[in-house]
Amino acid sequence: MLTPTVPLSPQPWRAAYAAAGIVGDLPPPNHASLAALVHSSCVAYAQQIAYTCVVPNGMNGSLTYAQVDAHSDAFAAYLRQTLKLPPGARVAVQLPNSLGYPVVAFGILKAGCVLVNTNPLYTPSEMLHQFKDAGVEALVLIDMFADKLPAVMRDTGLKHVIVARVTEFFPAVPNLVVRGVQRFWSRVLPPITVPHVRLAAALAQGKAALGAASVKAYWGDLKAGDTAALQYTGGTTGVAKGAVLSHGNLVANVQQMLAMGATHMTPGKECVLTALPLYHIFAFTANLLGFLSIGARNILIPSPRPVQNLQRAVENYPVTWITGVNTLFNALLNEEWFLAYPPKHLKASIAGGTALHGAVAERWAAVTGTPIAEGYGLTETSPVVSFNPLGGGARLGSIGIPAPGTEVRLVSDDGADVKAGEAGEIWVRGPQVMQGYWNNPGASADILRDGWLATGDVAVMDEAGFMRIVDRKKDLILVSGFNVYPNEIEDVIARMDAVLEVAVIGIPDGQSGEAVRAYVVPNPEHAAAPTAAQIAEHCRKYLTGYKLPKSVVLRDELPKTPIGKVLRKDLKAEVRAEFAARK
Amino acid sequence: MLTELETKLLGVMMMVIMLGMGASLTYRDFLIALRKPKGVLVGLVCQYGIMPFLGYLLAMALGLPPGLAVGLILIACMPGGTTSNIFTYFSKAVLALSIMMTSVSTLVALVAVPALLEFYSGAAGITGDFRIPAGNVAQVLVVLLVPTVIGMVLRKLNPNVGASIELLGGMLGIAVIVFLIISWVPRNYQLLTVTPWYVYFAAVGLGLFGMVLGYSLAKLLKQDNNRSRTIALETGIQNGPLAVLIVTLTFTGAMQQEVLLIPVLYSLFIVLTSSAVTVWFRRLSNREAKARDSAKVGALNPT
Repeated sequence: MLTPTVPLSPQPWRAAYAAAGIVGDLPPPNHASLAALVHSSCVAYAQQIAYTCVVPNGMNGSLTYAQVDAHSDAFAAYLRQTLKLPPGARVAVQLPNSLGYPVVAFGILKAGCVLVNTNPLYTPSEMLHQFKDAGVEALVLIDMFADKLPAVMRDTGLKHVIVARVTEFFPAVPNLVVRGVQRFWSRVLPPITVPHVRLAAALAQGKAALGAASVKAYWGDLKAGDTAALQYTGGTTGVAKGAVLSHGNLVANVQQMLAMGATHMTPGKECVLTALPLYHIFAFTANLLGFLSIGARNILIPSPRPVQNLQRAVENYPVTWITGVNTLFNALLNEEWFLAYPPKHLKASIAGGTALHGAVAERWAAVTGTPIAEGYGLTETSPVVSFNPLGGGARLGSIGIPAPGTEVRLVSDDGADVKAGEAGEIWVRGPQVMQGYWNNPGASADILRDGWLATGDVAVMDEAGFMRIVDRKKDLILVSGFNVYPNEIEDVIARMDAVLEVAVIGIPDGQSGEAVRAYVVPNPEHAAAPTAAQIAEHCRKYLTGYKLPKSVVLRDELPKTPIGKVLRKDLKAEVRAEFAARK
Repeated sequence: MLTELETKLLGVMMMVIMLGMGASLTYRDFLIALRKPKGVLVGLVCQYGIMPFLGYLLAMALGLPPGLAVGLILIACMPGGTTSNIFTYFSKAVLALSIMMTSVSTLVALVAVPALLEFYSGAAGITGDFRIPAGNVAQVLVVLLVPTVIGMVLRKLNPNVGASIELLGGMLGIAVIVFLIISWVPRNYQLLTVTPWYVYFAAVGLGLFGMVLGYSLAKLLKQDNNRSRTIALETGIQNGPLAVLIVTLTFTGAMQQEVLLIPVLYSLFIVLTSSAVTVWFRRLSNREAKARDSAKVGALNPT
């Protein structure tokens, strides 16, 4: 543990806590581990519905808190006893929002294993990198993407595969209908060619193995410092790294999030719409864990695109909270059904992931008659760093004030604190700051300095402690809240024979906040210059949808430094001029 | 003609179909549709403006005898068939619009169908025994509204039951036609071979021309391709089983046989024509989606 050498920064935001009815001092951790948090909530709210999964036609399945507890116990026992995984073993989860997700994720945590959240849309090469780096031993995968398994199994240490379905825990008829449509109409269920176990079978085996014993034996001794999850992110340099989030980090961040929202939450009475993917840290902490801990009902949406898929969920359940990103709120505001009947029980919404546009925030508040608060966070901070207070004083265009228990400094390039109103890099210290990057002391040392986490994001803070982001991390492209690292896209495009050089930057995009643009220098040795369509097709083989270049520009040469490094900042300046001219 | 048992079975199946239709939407859907009534209005114009007139025109142009003419006009005056929703789904068109058009035309049918039937029967010079009493039609429609409302309530109470019934109703719509093919066609094989070409022309043409006209009107009113395709299917596909039911409840014996001919032929052929059109529409829809995708990647040299 590093000793802080920098004196505590003054906390100008504390006055804002009082004004908004926020308890400014974070209480000591209420649970030693996430397993304890989950279990105690499941006992306290046993007969209430914890999760309801709603597919676009309104068909649904639900689990009560008691069922979540029992099924996740069974999964924990399956991991520890049937598969004989040791505590701390990494288990990857690649599931869309569905009832299997909480059962599996909590099972892993209760087993004392480490959860590795993975985007189900990842390509085999992306999966390979992540599974190898994390040393994943078991994988829980949605059946729709089982065709990626052979390539992944061959080259990793992955030993066990558990396959789940979207309709896990649905009643028999809706399950039959949805499965029938998946199999015979949309044909999205590929044959599974590797040895695997179905989730239902795994749970049955786990339950049998456990017998009358308690899984508390696995998690009773977990401590705050023990690793709960490896949450992958590209950080600032481009190669995906696993942020090591401890049980203590996540328990604290849940408390911090609840402290910010408490004025608008009644334990046991809330219903939150979970359209953001649970494998993303925002929904993972806020929805899966945060709302679980106050006995809320989570409405899980497996696929929020098109946004019409949310209609039956919003109509059929008394949604009181919505967590989302700018894209989602904007999309809802463009739906006739939503405008005609905005959720009438709604109390508040929170936006994260990417900047919430002022116009969207204003319209949202006008249409729903409830506050929407923008916050800021990053994977490395579990994720919440700051939020606008819901109870009054929220400022448009601001990322709010630090959550209770969080210290924030804005630091200039020379490491000194800037004055109020001046721009500086956001440094964060608090119980939610990660332990480091998995197996990557170099990168950890780069970002963790004397107990502070240097975010790489530049912001200004006003005298009341409200922050406004000035610039995102240097080159990172934020597409709908997902980090896209230009290096990765460039590497893929550069593999094309017809491409000589390539540089990737972000351009403003009305829909996704930012979009990927590739500047390509054609290879003169090659017969024909590549077309945008060819480049897109090539990228599609290696990259998930949100990483694909939305725009391709052919160039004769790229701006470079004297030693031949491509100057992305010059291209960005061009883009700024181009988009300024368009306005 | 249909046996007593078949008629009863048909009645029960219609009930389930309407139950399914009711379960396909909520009270709210109606209110939302009424806020922007253009789509619904276009649908109603197609359903009760274009189709009955087209039926009348075909009957006149082909010089159909009264027994056949009344069958043709009846099927032309019918509300939209619930099978149109399935075809719309498969052709990747706008399902919500299709469901709404079917439902609204079914509700309006209560008033529109008896009136239109009366009007065009009169215009076509159909008299006496071949006239279908407007009261009969209204009665059947009122009876069918009951399961529709029950369906809506079920949907509200339990989305799982609602969505399952919706699917069941849709499937049964096709099952009824298959049932007709299996039970009716073999027994009337002789009749089919001596049926003159113009009867086939009327039965097939009503659906096909209806689709063409529905599409044209939609385009004229600046609906996009997907909505226009939805409206085309919706216009061309009538509630055939309902027409068959009304005929069997109104006529008996040889008269029933004669009046039934065109509604049955229509119901058989509309499945074939709609399937072909669906395959084609689906291809168009896929091509457009692909074009939109590649447009998103951007021009090579933005100027």
